[in-house]
Amino acid sequence: MHAIPQLIVSTLLLAGVYALIAVGLTLIFGVMRVVNFAHGEFLMLGMYLAVGAFAFLRFDPYLTLAVSLPIGFAVGWMSYRGVMGPIIHGSHNVQVFTTVGLSIALQNLALVLFTADARFLRTEYYAVVVRVAGAAFNVAQIVAFVVAVALTAGLFAFMRWSYTGKVMRATAQDRHASALMGIDTDRVYALTWAVGITCVGAAGVLLAPIYPVYPTAGLQFVLIAYVAVVLGGLGDMVGAVIAALVIATVEVFGSYVIGTAWKEVLYLLLFIAILIVRPAGLFGQRGAEALGM
Amino acid sequence: MRALAPAAVFFASAALAPLVVHDAFFLDGLVLILLWGTTAAAWNVAGGYAGQISLGHSAFFGLGAYGAAILGTRWELSPWLGLVAGAAVATAIGLVIGYLSNRLRGPYFVLATIAFSQVLLLGGSRWRAFTAGSEGIPVPFRPGFWTLGLVDKRLWVWILLAFAVLAYLVALYLERARRGYQLAAVREDEDAALSLGVPARRLKVVAICVSAALTAACGALWAQYVGFVDPFYVFSIDLSIRFALAAIVGGLGTALGPFLGAALVTTVETYLRAEFGGIGGRFIGTYLIVYGCALIVMVRWLPQGLVGWIGARWHRGAAARTTP
Repeated sequence: MHAIPQLIVSTLLLAGVYALIAVGLTLIFGVMRVVNFAHGEFLMLGMYLAVGAFAFLRFDPYLTLAVSLPIGFAVGWMSYRGVMGPIIHGSHNVQVFTTVGLSIALQNLALVLFTADARFLRTEYYAVVVRVAGAAFNVAQIVAFVVAVALTAGLFAFMRWSYTGKVMRATAQDRHASALMGIDTDRVYALTWAVGITCVGAAGVLLAPIYPVYPTAGLQFVLIAYVAVVLGGLGDMVGAVIAALVIATVEVFGSYVIGTAWKEVLYLLLFIAILIVRPAGLFGQRGAEALGM
Repeated sequence: MRALAPAAVFFASAALAPLVVHDAFFLDGLVLILLWGTTAAAWNVAGGYAGQISLGHSAFFGLGAYGAAILGTRWELSPWLGLVAGAAVATAIGLVIGYLSNRLRGPYFVLATIAFSQVLLLGGSRWRAFTAGSEGIPVPFRPGFWTLGLVDKRLWVWILLAFAVLAYLVALYLERARRGYQLAAVREDEDAALSLGVPARRLKVVAICVSAALTAACGALWAQYVGFVDPFYVFSIDLSIRFALAAIVGGLGTALGPFLGAALVTTVETYLRAEFGGIGGRFIGTYLIVYGCALIVMVRWLPQGLVGWIGARWHRGAAARTTP
């Protein structure tokens, strides 16, 4: 049982980044009622940003992180204005296929620009390992965890206490009523989309020093994020964070017990089971708004 | 009858073209157009007519492909039996997904279908003892019609044409029959349809099962035609999107639309591949960028697809001719 502390630490480190990816996705769903199928592609773009900045400018990935926040916001804002905004009041099909189209276009843009070769970002301190209480962990993972938790907490504080956050929550609750109260919902959607993209872009920068970077790298993480978001209840940010922890636990302990080859199957089956048993998520109320659209 | 004329012309020219043109490149293109057209038409039964948007239809396609490949390599059985077996398993999975469609709506359903295809992808690529794992299965070439080892591409055109016409007839049934109208009612407003006594749940499940079985049949034929089954391709999300894309480009919920969409998409793809796919394959993704942008543009400006667009022009033209 000497492995238990290591497993717990690994779970926590993994959960931090999963939470950051999932929170952006669930925020976008909660406010805009859109499942962003291109979420993974923005993660991938964040990873390439870190790799590119490191290769050409010798930027440390954590310096890139600071730069990535305004860039992510700008990219999000522009993609809303250009692609999402015009169809935000469209039917489900239109929204699903618009984000799917965006996903294919971005993925293959990366393929054409950066080729399919996996790239690695290796900092000098990549191999530095910290040992605490029988558990060993990598510096990049710890930084990723700390920054992800800080960003997630920042987003929560923003949603909870800032006026803009309040406006976003109001729009999430009832878009028509908030429009009647004088809220510019289109601007709120743009902001929400941009904030969601910023989160996932930052997550990409944090993951770049740990995982190989290739055009479809976002898919594996975003699948986890979908599971977390549904598990937590679509649109529920606290639920998404708890669900990220649940999935990281399943993944880490599952891999330890039955081997890494089947860990994805494990959480996908968990996902399907949750969809069948509790489609509104573990903590969610089965609301007509979220389900019966 | 006049409404059927475009389809009659389309299928008749596909049937007669091999008699005139013997060019292998052209026939290969025709086979692929009919194959992708049939998969799109099958997707359209669930996605277009029943309104159950799936991005996991590659699950069914892969089951068909694996059905043919595994029965063929392991027990040396005919791919036709594999086709039937694959379609049967796909129908069973279709029942489960159909059941889910009664519990999940909108984005939840889309996510569930993706999860299904991903589970099968992982199963296909990791369960080495049964599926040969991630290397995939080379399908042996055994000459003969029963074993589907056909060198003559004209035969392939005609076999696929038979399935294409079958898929078209299913769509036509949905456009003409009482059940089809009921299904359209379910798609537009399920609660209203239920309150009028339409067996909404059963209709949706049946539509998804028919769609699944047809898609699996295409998968089995594709495995036999291409000669290789790769789990990362046959179960991929990209493939599911391809089915949907052709149906959307052609026209959601139209009988001929998926075939026109597939014809356009496949032709553009072949052209772009020939043009940009050459040296080093650096631009191998170009046609997919075009795909993605086409999808965004189509759903925004032409949600009715090609058929809707042509139809509108036709009617306007006809109206202009009759009114002096």
